[in-house]
Amino acid sequence: MAEDLVLDTAIRDWVLIPLSVVMVLIGILRYFVSKLMRSSNQVPDPKMIKEGQVVIRARNLRAAANFIPAKSFRSRRVYFSNEENGLLYVPKGQAQNAQAQMFSDPNMAMDMMKKNLSMIIPQTLTFAWVNFFFSGFVAAKIPFPLTQRFRSMLQNGIDLSTVDVSYVSSRSWYFLNLFGLRGLFSLILGEENATDDTQRMMQMSGFGFDPTRSLGAEKDSLDIVQHEWALPKFEQRAEAVLKKLVS
Amino acid sequence: MVSKTEEEQVNRLEGQVENGGGGEWEYLCLVRKLKLRRSFNVLKYGLSILNNPKKRSALGSEEWTLYEQVAIAAMDCQRLDLAKDFIKILAEKFPESKRVGRLEALLLEAMDLWEEAEKAYSSLLEDNELDPVIHKRRVAMAKAQGNISGAIEWLNKYLEIFMADHDAWRELAEIYVSLQMYKQAAFCYEELILSQPTIPLYHLAYADVLYTLGGLENLHMAKKYYASTTDLTGGKNTRALFGICLCTSAIEQLTKGRNKDDKENSQLASLSATALEKDYKQRAPNKVSLLASTLRSLKLSS
Repeated sequence: MAEDLVLDTAIRDWVLIPLSVVMVLIGILRYFVSKLMRSSNQVPDPKMIKEGQVVIRARNLRAAANFIPAKSFRSRRVYFSNEENGLLYVPKGQAQNAQAQMFSDPNMAMDMMKKNLSMIIPQTLTFAWVNFFFSGFVAAKIPFPLTQRFRSMLQNGIDLSTVDVSYVSSRSWYFLNLFGLRGLFSLILGEENATDDTQRMMQMSGFGFDPTRSLGAEKDSLDIVQHEWALPKFEQRAEAVLKKLVS
Repeated sequence: MVSKTEEEQVNRLEGQVENGGGGEWEYLCLVRKLKLRRSFNVLKYGLSILNNPKKRSALGSEEWTLYEQVAIAAMDCQRLDLAKDFIKILAEKFPESKRVGRLEALLLEAMDLWEEAEKAYSSLLEDNELDPVIHKRRVAMAKAQGNISGAIEWLNKYLEIFMADHDAWRELAEIYVSLQMYKQAAFCYEELILSQPTIPLYHLAYADVLYTLGGLENLHMAKKYYASTTDLTGGKNTRALFGICLCTSAIEQLTKGRNKDDKENSQLASLSATALEKDYKQRAPNKVSLLASTLRSLKLSS
């Protein structure tokens, strides 16, 4: 299909730019609303904090294990991965509990729901608005050629099957903006903004498992570590340094 | 730990403000960010900003942070009247605020009203179990009252939860050393070395503690840690060099009867002795003879 459709500049003025502007504004609005709605009972869960700190300490132990004498390293390793009361030891039963607990805890469930809602509702509304007002015409041309498979995705309102797949409807412009404006938002609103949908989705899936799973992971990696005391090497290095200094 | 560029920046700003060149607000912001304790300067410059209504309104909402900072500096300089005024202003603006509550408890501490301060902290902790600042204030209070064992207890409890806080480990180590509980101090220093292995200060302190504990194995380890300190500081740390010499002589004394295993190359000791002599010649030439006699006595003790 070598025909080149000439797209009216009015499309650009009245479709593409207003759509982007509206999405930016909605994003900013969402940010402020989520800030307002964030419940002030940000009481950090003691268990979470302790686990976080334990993980940090275990990681330090692993990283710098060669700097402390073998005996201390071994005693610390036992302290962490001991079967009965080791800090990192998580019995199998408990690992499942964390997620179930998370959903049954009313506070946390409410929080998650609120966050979800603040994400889903604007998206749905904007999508419906786009479909209603901006459908049935070609909105833009994608600069690179695409296969026929993308036709159903990108050319929703356009019912001609002969039009080149590069000519897309405004729905695809909406999706493009949805994912692309993330960078713009982090520039305007600073690092922490609620518009980071994809990140949030990733966080949600990994949330419940994070503490218990990371503990188990730390314990495993700690078990693997071989202690090789680096200090004797330091003596030689000190000699070399002093030799250079003295000579 | 403040980086070198930041330190230079702070000093430069300080000099600039002292000579009347403006820039007080940047100085105060930098001090607050780096958590330095320059209370006298903070108080002086903060007061100059706060007493000038034009400058004060120019700050906008940052004004309240400045009030907090200057209140703490005032308490440090024992200007309790000023601190009380500032805290009152803050309390009017932010009633029922935890941050202001903390300041008020701090004021009680500064006025030596330990009981009330203790009560205030406990009530604050009831609302927020995990506020590290309040825990640390309790430890500081116990220490200031001379109740060292209470301080140790609180600090241990704090560390059970916040075990990655290396400042707390350092505090605990120093308390243990002051109480001569060297084994526990060694444990704390090990924690510090684990979290920040490239800071020579911790190696040095650990080596000191090991040397004090005594015993052949500890002396060997101490020597190695003095050597690592020397390595990390490029040979410039006098105390580490001395440590090496002392350890070597102490080890020789202990192994007098047994056969010395000569894999302990004695070059380290002689090298550090030479380095010390060179250093003293440069920096304190009138003490060179003292140094020479000390070193001779160490070498002759075997």
